[in-house]
Amino acid sequence: MPKPAVGMFGLTGCAGDQLTVLNCEDELLGMVELLDIRDFLTASSDRDESCPLDIAFVEGVVASKRDEERLRRIRARCDTLVALGTCAVCGGIPAMDRDFDRDRLIVDLYGPGGRQFDALPVRALHEVVSVNVKITGCPIEKHEFLACIASLLNGDLPILPEYPVCMECRLRENRCLLIHDGLCCLGPITLGGCHARCPSLGVSCVGCRGPARDANLEAAVMVFEQHGLPRDVVWQRLQTFAPVPDGRLPQAWEER
Amino acid sequence: MNRVIRVEHLARVEGHGGITVELDRDTVRGVQFDVFEGLRLIEGLVKGRSFEDVPQIVSRICAICSVAHAVTCIKAIENAFDVIPSEQTVRLRDLLFRGENIESHALHLFLLALPDYLGFPSATAMAAEHRNVVELGLRLKKLGNTIQETIGGRAIHPVNCVVGGFGGAPSVNQLTRLRTDLQRGLRDCERAIDLWASLAPTDFCHSDTVYAALTPPSGYGYYQGSEITMLTRGIPRVMPAEELHLHNRETTITHSHARHSSFDGRPFMVGALGRLAVNGEKLAGGAVTAMQQLGLELPSDNPMDNNKAQVVELMFDIEHALAEVDSLLNEGLRRERATSVRPREGMGLAVTEAPRGLLSYRLGFDGEGRVTSANIITPTAFNASSVEDHFAHAVTQSPDKSTAALTHRLEMIARAYDPCISCSVHVVQSQRDT
Ligand code: SF4
Ligand code: SF4
Ligand code: SF4
Repeated sequence: MPKPAVGMFGLTGCAGDQLTVLNCEDELLGMVELLDIRDFLTASSDRDESCPLDIAFVEGVVASKRDEERLRRIRARCDTLVALGTCAVCGGIPAMDRDFDRDRLIVDLYGPGGRQFDALPVRALHEVVSVNVKITGCPIEKHEFLACIASLLNGDLPILPEYPVCMECRLRENRCLLIHDGLCCLGPITLGGCHARCPSLGVSCVGCRGPARDANLEAAVMVFEQHGLPRDVVWQRLQTFAPVPDGRLPQAWEER
Repeated sequence: MNRVIRVEHLARVEGHGGITVELDRDTVRGVQFDVFEGLRLIEGLVKGRSFEDVPQIVSRICAICSVAHAVTCIKAIENAFDVIPSEQTVRLRDLLFRGENIESHALHLFLLALPDYLGFPSATAMAAEHRNVVELGLRLKKLGNTIQETIGGRAIHPVNCVVGGFGGAPSVNQLTRLRTDLQRGLRDCERAIDLWASLAPTDFCHSDTVYAALTPPSGYGYYQGSEITMLTRGIPRVMPAEELHLHNRETTITHSHARHSSFDGRPFMVGALGRLAVNGEKLAGGAVTAMQQLGLELPSDNPMDNNKAQVVELMFDIEHALAEVDSLLNEGLRRERATSVRPREGMGLAVTEAPRGLLSYRLGFDGEGRVTSANIITPTAFNASSVEDHFAHAVTQSPDKSTAALTHRLEMIARAYDPCISCSVHVVQSQRDT
């Protein structure tokens, strides 16, 4: 079997997902033997910027015209596009800009000169091009990345969890921070796969993996309200790693 | 005859940057360190957020320095609200910073910088001929990650660090395993020193660099302290961190989204080499021997020595971490809750040393603990003017003025600075402040 041609790219982000790939210290050298890595700027100065690729991994968000052009070029040259990390999948931390007046933000931070910068409102990858596989996490979990490589090498798409963090948290028999302590834990509506890292340390989940499939936002919000958590604090936390669809308040809130 | 030397897209650095040097015959006319990272506006996005959410948000400024961002932010919040963390918390944070430093230095030294010295485009290409060397680097890098996982709960974007302390303390089992890893790390680090001492000298850029670093209250470390030392021609000037904010001039420059910093009109360099220049006397043990073996003299006039300085710190941090883990195991860790926090209106300032140098946070809060202002200055922003200065020196001092030779040297200087370009952007002050 010929080795698949692979590219690893970072748009605007913190490089944490690419770094997680490099953090697979035990697997890295074995992995590069199975792949033909053609374009990985962060790790190599020898790159082919135009060859067709079987798999392209893309981290980060589209935040500039330059990002958008790069992403479109990557899409045009690859078969399978894998969005790597919550930024790429849902918009992540930088997509909090949806709640702000961007022009004011830019002028506040950079002065009027900042308006000349190449800066677009933040978008996740699927808002610009089609995406084949989504590996979420901020950063991605190593084991999910490796499982994804293994599946793709076998010609399959990876099977990733769709259940919420609570499921993993219950399995670890943690004390529930929401029910018992009344803390703003986003576990019920956040996608699992991290083995409930935070609640296992007694820290609330802040939703870094984005929403679980079929997450019931309304129900979660009602539980938070029952515990007397201030509405705006909950709302802000909900919007941290993934914008709430349509930027709309849950109905339960609007009705009152 | 005019010509332009341009590195469009710097490889083997973190983030998106380039270099442009304009020459008139052999005279340097202009130098630019270009940053093409998109804007994430994080300092703006934290406004209005409750203090509890802020460390997790700012940690996303940069993955490699995520511990430094999260914990410096926490330190600023604690300063604003007069929260005094427990002694155990301070010790664990100190250790956590060392873990981040070990990971970051090993990544930079072995995967990003070393291929230049041995003539390869990447560490994986280098592995074909020098597999042992790459494996050595990966083991050291993993050691740093193990420390971060043990204490911070995750190698990148630590989940266990909260205002007032930690969510949970590491278990005896985790610490015992870490001790074994550190013992092996010591032996690995000795081999790393031998390797770096055997490389051909990189002697093509000299200047009387001004250095700046945090002044720890005792010992050689990255987390504790509130004073900064500026070292100009070997003469130290100690000042409270506030003064750095007052004197530091940041200017918005269109070729880069990063702010360029200078102190009283002069660029200065931060990072491992700066820390050694300022605090080198506080080193002990294997780090002192390493310095002799590497032929590193302080303060150095050669920015390429930043690589050697990172090797020296690797040794110090591993020895120090091993001693600290031993004493934590002997004394036993207490299960303690994070110190409780009562928010109030005010301002909190904190400085620490991220792997690449000084990191400064200044956060304002309202009475309910919501952010009213945020000002973050990162190491790469502090270094931006200094690296341009050194680009110019490297070109001027190079006997071979061919584009290929100059490009290679410029890239090596850029890499020696170990720039973290994600960090340099969106971490700015408005022009109003300058
Ligand atoms: S998803 Fe998280 S780790 Fe990945 S680039 Fe975005 S902020 Fe960084
Ligand atoms: S602690 Fe959080 S993640 Fe765990 S069960 Fe409770 S709500 Fe779910
Ligand atoms: S528990 Fe929540 S915040 Fe923590 S790692 Fe998992 S998804 Fe992210």
